[in-house]
Amino acid sequence: MNDTDLKYLWQTSNEQIAISQKSDKTSLDYLTKRNVSHFLSSMKPIKIFTLLVGLLWVFSIGYVLIKLTINAYDQVSLYFLYSAYFQVMLTAMAVIFYLIQLSTLYSIDFNNPVVILQKTLISLKASTLNVTRILILQLPFWTTFYWNESMFKNGTLPLFILQGAVTISFTYLAIWLFFHLKIENADKWWFKLLLQGKEWEPLITSIVILNDMEEEVASDKD
Amino acid sequence: MAKHNLHQTFHEIIEQHKGLLVKVARTYCGNEEDRQDLIQEIRIQIWKSLPKYDANFAMTTWLYRISINVAISFYRKNSIRRQYTIAKTLPLVIDPLPNDLQEKFNLLEKFIAELNEMDKALIMLYLEDKSYLDISEIMGISVSNVGTKMGRIKEKLKKRFLNHKEN
Repeated sequence: MNDTDLKYLWQTSNEQIAISQKSDKTSLDYLTKRNVSHFLSSMKPIKIFTLLVGLLWVFSIGYVLIKLTINAYDQVSLYFLYSAYFQVMLTAMAVIFYLIQLSTLYSIDFNNPVVILQKTLISLKASTLNVTRILILQLPFWTTFYWNESMFKNGTLPLFILQGAVTISFTYLAIWLFFHLKIENADKWWFKLLLQGKEWEPLITSIVILNDMEEEVASDKD
Repeated sequence: MAKHNLHQTFHEIIEQHKGLLVKVARTYCGNEEDRQDLIQEIRIQIWKSLPKYDANFAMTTWLYRISINVAISFYRKNSIRRQYTIAKTLPLVIDPLPNDLQEKFNLLEKFIAELNEMDKALIMLYLEDKSYLDISEIMGISVSNVGTKMGRIKEKLKKRFLNHKEN
């Protein structure tokens, strides 16, 4: 079948297409008069809610920690205090990332050419991983906040070995995941185990397709 | 643009270009329910983007950009929930074509459905008789890149028709 045949076939079917499909005036009026949400804007409420919860957490725990530092610095365990500070700091960074994502979501412009807009949408979706990567860095601090001076004075060798092994392995795991939890690894078993890989697979396919488009654009410029 | 004019323009655009919306929906969705959902999503986005319409662009170029952008996002989101199945395909044709043409058309639809999301857009625009320049403006790639891509897609379709004939 040649080009002319293909076009003829397509265009003949167009003539037969459901042209009689009426643009129902009532439904169009409804659409223009109400703030009808669609699948992209439906992403926004959950992000705003998460952002508010994050901000509440950072400010309330941050407030308690500052109060403790000012009023009871000598009485609290410094391991607890600094572990909690690092956790809040990392949560604050994750909240900032969320804020950037949300502002990108609001600035999405469907008037843009297809390749450009699709790249923005994919990088937006892929950037949700950055929040997870930052939060994973909190892992080691969950193994240090209960340390205290008496543990070091009275502890036994097996306790130190156990505690050391736990903290070192959590630190290694956190750093490893921070560097490897990327969309490119979405086909790996550990990624699927951690983040329900099925959701990410179509995204990898799209990245490959868009990169393929881009490569040809680049070779075109050479 | 005044609010009343905006409503008026929106109604006119949807009425004049309803065929375009149906064609995009037909290219990206395998069943009638999804097609109707997609057409509604495209209408919503057209309404939202209308105040930003740049009159320097042809109306159809602008409409294709929005429709394809919405369709690809919709298709990607839906393909997470359920994979495209040819068995579900319900043609949007009211009066069937003559038998041999209908069969060929069903095959064309099936082979287009097998293409990736970007190639679907390219072949649809090509079959709609859009020039390479128009396609490059809609897609955001160079004219020569459109030519290269189009050559590969057409070759792929020809092979599929040929294989089908031999079998």
